[in-house]
Amino acid sequence: MENKVVLDTFVKETGGYVASQLEACTRCGICAEACHFYEATGNPEFSPVWKIELLKRAYEQRFTLSGKIKLALGIDKKITEEDILHFSKIVYEACTMCNKCSMVCPMGIQLGPLIHEVRAGLSNAGVVPADLMAAVNKQVEEGSPLGVTDDVFENRMEWVADEWEVDLPMDVKGADTLVVFSSIEIMKFPENIAAIAKILNKAGEKWTLSKKAREVVNFGFYEGSLERTKMFLQRVFDGAMDLGVKKIVVTECGHAYDAMRWTSYNIMDVPKGIEITHIVGLMGEYVRSGKIKLKEGAFNDGIVTFHDACKIQRRGGHIKEPREILNILAPKTFKEMSPNKEESVCCGGGGGVIAIKEADPIRYAAFELKIDQMKKVGAEMVVMSCSNCRLQFTDCVQHFNLDVKVAGLSQMVADSLVE
Amino acid sequence: MASFTITPVEKGILRCQHTGPMTHEDVRSLAGFLHDYRGKLLVDLSGTSGEECARNLQQFRPLMPTTAIFGGEINPIILEIPESYYTHEVRYFNKEEEAMNWLRNQ
Repeated sequence: MENKVVLDTFVKETGGYVASQLEACTRCGICAEACHFYEATGNPEFSPVWKIELLKRAYEQRFTLSGKIKLALGIDKKITEEDILHFSKIVYEACTMCNKCSMVCPMGIQLGPLIHEVRAGLSNAGVVPADLMAAVNKQVEEGSPLGVTDDVFENRMEWVADEWEVDLPMDVKGADTLVVFSSIEIMKFPENIAAIAKILNKAGEKWTLSKKAREVVNFGFYEGSLERTKMFLQRVFDGAMDLGVKKIVVTECGHAYDAMRWTSYNIMDVPKGIEITHIVGLMGEYVRSGKIKLKEGAFNDGIVTFHDACKIQRRGGHIKEPREILNILAPKTFKEMSPNKEESVCCGGGGGVIAIKEADPIRYAAFELKIDQMKKVGAEMVVMSCSNCRLQFTDCVQHFNLDVKVAGLSQMVADSLVE
Repeated sequence: MASFTITPVEKGILRCQHTGPMTHEDVRSLAGFLHDYRGKLLVDLSGTSGEECARNLQQFRPLMPTTAIFGGEINPIILEIPESYYTHEVRYFNKEEEAMNWLRNQ
């Protein structure tokens, strides 16, 4: 039964675009070398081209003459429920949807979106890893995968406002900007909330938080569920519409930024007249325009490096802003890891992987590539603009007992504001 | 004087002793410590009333590493949060010895 649902999803979604992408693949294998999970483990099943094998076989067997002949002659086999379960492990546990594979493909095949298509089929068939699905269900039922209920949100914001002594405007009608945090920032990195508030207040931004749109993370997007991706996006858009804001600022969360900034426009009616941006873009704008000033050399004490988040830097293009900021804060000690910017290696924790306990061994294996990069520059501090990456770094620094400080870019900026 | 002190207990375990009401600066520096610390934690509340630190304990709960708390009367309900991939186990004990025994086995 599961395989029928998966195949039906593929058939429904396999239009000319997907067909042309699948037909264009020459099986050159360059995508494999771009995948951190393949590079870290050498497992050929982790190569991006193999991750779309299920979709490719379904397409060939249903729509191509050669596929039908192969099936009739027994050269190819029908997709079984065992295949579905096997591919569920591969595409959820060994793929962070980082999309580097798409960037290196000489045929321009968008492997990331195709892998997302495979996740969509598996999601419809209910073959999603239990840990990830538990978080999705929690977000459906409570509005948050990490338990940020109305009460938790209010108490947390009051505590941050009191203890960090910052103004956190809540549900302000007529504000220009709605700021939406991810649940991991709210629960694990509350100082990020204070830091971003301090920056926005210093820049004179007319901003607000929203109880309705209290968090931006989208576990439906990780899962590959169109219905739930839309549901979670709609909550944020509804909050924004209620308050009449002109701009939504997504804070340090990469996947949420992808979902809001690009995916939303392709899957639903996005309210018109609302700009969607990322806090890194906004901070860069503030620094360039002089709305905020930073203490030069505030972090010149040890080697600082920057980890490019797949969804914010590679996909989002916010590559210059963090570097401009770090060249002010650490002009003598900022060093680039290699590869970097668009070609950066994923940390291994995105795409929902960090939420799946069974994926821990390959998640740690993938992180060893980052360790090599950090060691080569002698990093004493690694900075990033995605809290999911930050959680992966924090966890892995502990796991591998590394002497590296992990920091969020917004916090560094807030700590360095010239009063 | 800070409202908490951090001292080593044994390899991999630090004691965080609460000694009085927390200022805003104390809360912020404790948050910073919890982000950078990679071992297990023994929280000693004997220098304070449970009531005094209940709010901070509850709010610090998601940031805590594997932690054993003892020495002050608190309602264990404040330590309950949904189990998730980012959380660590935190337990309350009546006596330091019990807390240390549990912590050593984690």
